[in-house]
Amino acid sequence: MDCKEIRDLVAERWGEELPAEVREHLSKCAGCEVFWRNARFLQAGFRAWAAETPPEASFGFAARLVRRLQVWETTGARSEFFETVGRRFVYATLALTLALLLSLALPTSGPVRGVAGADFLGLQSHSQASQPDVVGGDSGDTHDLIPGGPTE
Amino acid sequence: MARSEFDVSQEVECIRRVQKGDGEAFGLLVAKYQQRILSIVFHLVRRRDEVEDLAQEVFFKAFRAIRSYNFQSSFATWLSRIAVNHCYDYLRKVRASRVSYYSEMTEESAHELERKAENPPPQGWDHAERLALRDFVARLLDRAPEDDRLILSLKELEDYSVEEIADLLKLKTSTVKVRLHRARKRMLEDLERWRQEGK
Repeated sequence: MDCKEIRDLVAERWGEELPAEVREHLSKCAGCEVFWRNARFLQAGFRAWAAETPPEASFGFAARLVRRLQVWETTGARSEFFETVGRRFVYATLALTLALLLSLALPTSGPVRGVAGADFLGLQSHSQASQPDVVGGDSGDTHDLIPGGPTE
Repeated sequence: MARSEFDVSQEVECIRRVQKGDGEAFGLLVAKYQQRILSIVFHLVRRRDEVEDLAQEVFFKAFRAIRSYNFQSSFATWLSRIAVNHCYDYLRKVRASRVSYYSEMTEESAHELERKAENPPPQGWDHAERLALRDFVARLLDRAPEDDRLILSLKELEDYSVEEIADLLKLKTSTVKVRLHRARKRMLEDLERWRQEGK
């Protein structure tokens, strides 16, 4: 067993009796022995701490709590409800305002809102008609694609 | 309050009443579980003066959330989970300095304590030694990652079994075992580092 395995075992068998093989290693390896001593020290510390008794609940703990809950149910719960609803209303209003501002701020033309695809093709063919194509000359074919498009 | 102990069927009945809004019935559950919750809060938070306030907050949270309790785990586990999470949140917010007995000790008496810890005195520790030991471990735990602190506190201080911790933290038993093992090893390595820093 190497030092890593020994230390793993010390951490695993926390507070338990260690096998003879491990004990033998500890008697020879100073580093692992310190590790084991530290483990014993921590175990003692945890035990000392765990032995400390938690405080008892003071007299009327449950009764005070129930009274507090009743007060909360009559006032707190309602105000909490309105607070939640109010907060949601504010968020919704903000989101709506933001959407409105965005719709006003964004340009009205562009790839989406601009000239419709068919119109665009129409315009293109119009400009191509005025500037003859280098390879094929007039590209009059496109006109056939446009229902109701400009005719020349 | 009325009697604090009742059997499982009475407890279920009581929970159903609370789910319908019966605050008085909740008082019975509080009376039954108050000591358990105080113990968890005390060992996790270690501030005697704040234990009761925190326990009240835990029960308050439980009351508000009780409609979501679906009887899949025991009520004790469900309530303990709320307590653990509440303490966890609290500790994350408040990392105030604590009175340290260990740090106030001379180097000689600290070594004496370490020697004694290796072979605990048969008559037990005296009060000052217990406080110093506890404080030493508490400071080490403070340096540990949150998850390590939580799992070690539940195991070593609250004496929960691996299965109970798994139930409480909604983890697999094997995961709890691995985490516990790693947390102990990390703490031991940290102790070694700490001592080297001090030298």
